[in-house]
Amino acid sequence: MKNRGKTGLRFLGLTVFLAVIPLVSRAQPVLRVSVADLPDFSRVTIASSAPLAFTLEKTAEGLQFKLESKTSYRFQGGAVRSRLVKSFGWAKTKIGYILLIETATGDFRYEHQVQRNPNQVLINLYPSGEEAAVSTPAPGKKPAVKEERKEEKPPDEPPKPILKPTAHASPSMKTIVIDPGHGGLEVGAKGKFGTMEKDVTLTISLKLKALIEQNLAFRVILTRDTDLDVSLDNRAALANNNKADLFISVHANGSFAKSARGSETFFLSLNATDEETRRLAYLENNPARIEKHIDEENPDDIKLILWDMAQSAYIKQSSLLAELIQNEFNTELGTENRGLKQAPFKVLTGVACPAVLVEVAFISNPDEEEKLKSEDFQNRVADAVFRGLAAFLKTNS
Amino acid sequence: MIASLALIVIILAFFFFRGGGGDREMIKQPAKEPAVSGAKAGSQVPKETRNIRLYFLSEEDGLLHAEERAIPADPSPVREAEAVIAELIKGPEKGYLSTIPAETRLRQIFITQDGTAYVDFSKEFAEKHPSGTSAEAATVYSIVNSLALNIPSIKKIVFLIEGGEKETLGGHINLSKPFIPLKSMIAE
Repeated sequence: MKNRGKTGLRFLGLTVFLAVIPLVSRAQPVLRVSVADLPDFSRVTIASSAPLAFTLEKTAEGLQFKLESKTSYRFQGGAVRSRLVKSFGWAKTKIGYILLIETATGDFRYEHQVQRNPNQVLINLYPSGEEAAVSTPAPGKKPAVKEERKEEKPPDEPPKPILKPTAHASPSMKTIVIDPGHGGLEVGAKGKFGTMEKDVTLTISLKLKALIEQNLAFRVILTRDTDLDVSLDNRAALANNNKADLFISVHANGSFAKSARGSETFFLSLNATDEETRRLAYLENNPARIEKHIDEENPDDIKLILWDMAQSAYIKQSSLLAELIQNEFNTELGTENRGLKQAPFKVLTGVACPAVLVEVAFISNPDEEEKLKSEDFQNRVADAVFRGLAAFLKTNS
Repeated sequence: MIASLALIVIILAFFFFRGGGGDREMIKQPAKEPAVSGAKAGSQVPKETRNIRLYFLSEEDGLLHAEERAIPADPSPVREAEAVIAELIKGPEKGYLSTIPAETRLRQIFITQDGTAYVDFSKEFAEKHPSGTSAEAATVYSIVNSLALNIPSIKKIVFLIEGGEKETLGGHINLSKPFIPLKSMIAE
């Protein structure tokens, strides 16, 4: 099973590589610049199709990003809505370009991080002293989270999907695995107008990945990033092998009832028979035991039995994550609230971290099939899931 | 490993069923005649019947609703279970929705000593299923509730397709574990 998982990963890597080629071969490279406000700082993301050679320098007006480059870049920056960053300026110099990040005050400190594949530079700007305290929203208050996120939204067009798992992330970086339901021959539920669950789930997942990567310092891995068959076991294995901290499976619902509609968020129900219930209750109260068992005793049987029940140790956290996402669906999507639910999903069973499955809307309902096809709805779904998980991370930090 | 364990369980169960169980109290497969015709015969000939509640899906609330039917009373829980499944495949009479693809055939049912009913369907059960979480849950629990809530000796249900285990019907609900009835799926 493990080997299959690895092969799956390699294959994923290969398809990612192929998908990136057209971007690289484009004639004039583009420098995409955006800014997002997070609770404690503002983040400027500078994304490029090629690696960037640059220096950073603080000035009275803000921060200068000096790019050394012989090739000519095209600058692409949207409207700036941020507490700290006022505007972006772009100028050509002898050795390359200068991007001026103009700030509202000179009283800030910054740090930066360089990522490969996709190539991007993340610059976090922290307002110092009182300002930081003022701009930090009250913890746990939902309206505060909402307002914040509005500002975080990428300025104009929806974020471009970023395809490759950020493999060079630091070991301490947390990992979110997004699982676009179905794929390949396994199409999932189908709509009257031919929309397939596997396509909708992939589009939304790519949007969600981009949102997370733009706004949070998380590594994001997709269980598939193309129209590919991936077994349910391998999806869980991918999450566990990458030591995922969160797992979100994206689905669109299907019912025999044409009128069935609405959005719901699931966490695993154990469907437990009596003798299992006792063992599971034990594990739920002693999650550390799972790893201990594997380390000490190690026979394959034990590993597999525990693997099969891995999710049972995370039911409480999964339930909270599901609840927070469902709250966002209720306020964001305008769909019927079908609520927080439990069901024995195969894909969630073996995942060893908080894990949920979202049923965004019913593809079997013609009205909702239309919604699922629309980019606006897809963006709102990605946004709602993002807010839900951001709220979860906040309660867990 | 799990698959092979499950296979062993299935093979063992199959062996018991084939061999008539020896000194074990296995309940034997009934005669080949389809349960449907048995039910018809029951309604014509003044034979003892009993009322059962079949659970079908409602378009209105997406929940399972009970529909009463009479099946021939039979001391064999296997034959009663077959009658229940046959009625479910025939479909609802009161405007509810069927939860099993019409082309589906029941291959066999066997019930182990601990009250686990193995319900083995033909491949159409999965192939013709529309997929989707709600649809799969409706199918699974209309069958599980209809069997376990009508036949006291059935405590859990395991689904088989063409004699083997299948992971899911359409990529969602886990079929590799036994199901116990879920009353929250039933309308008040």
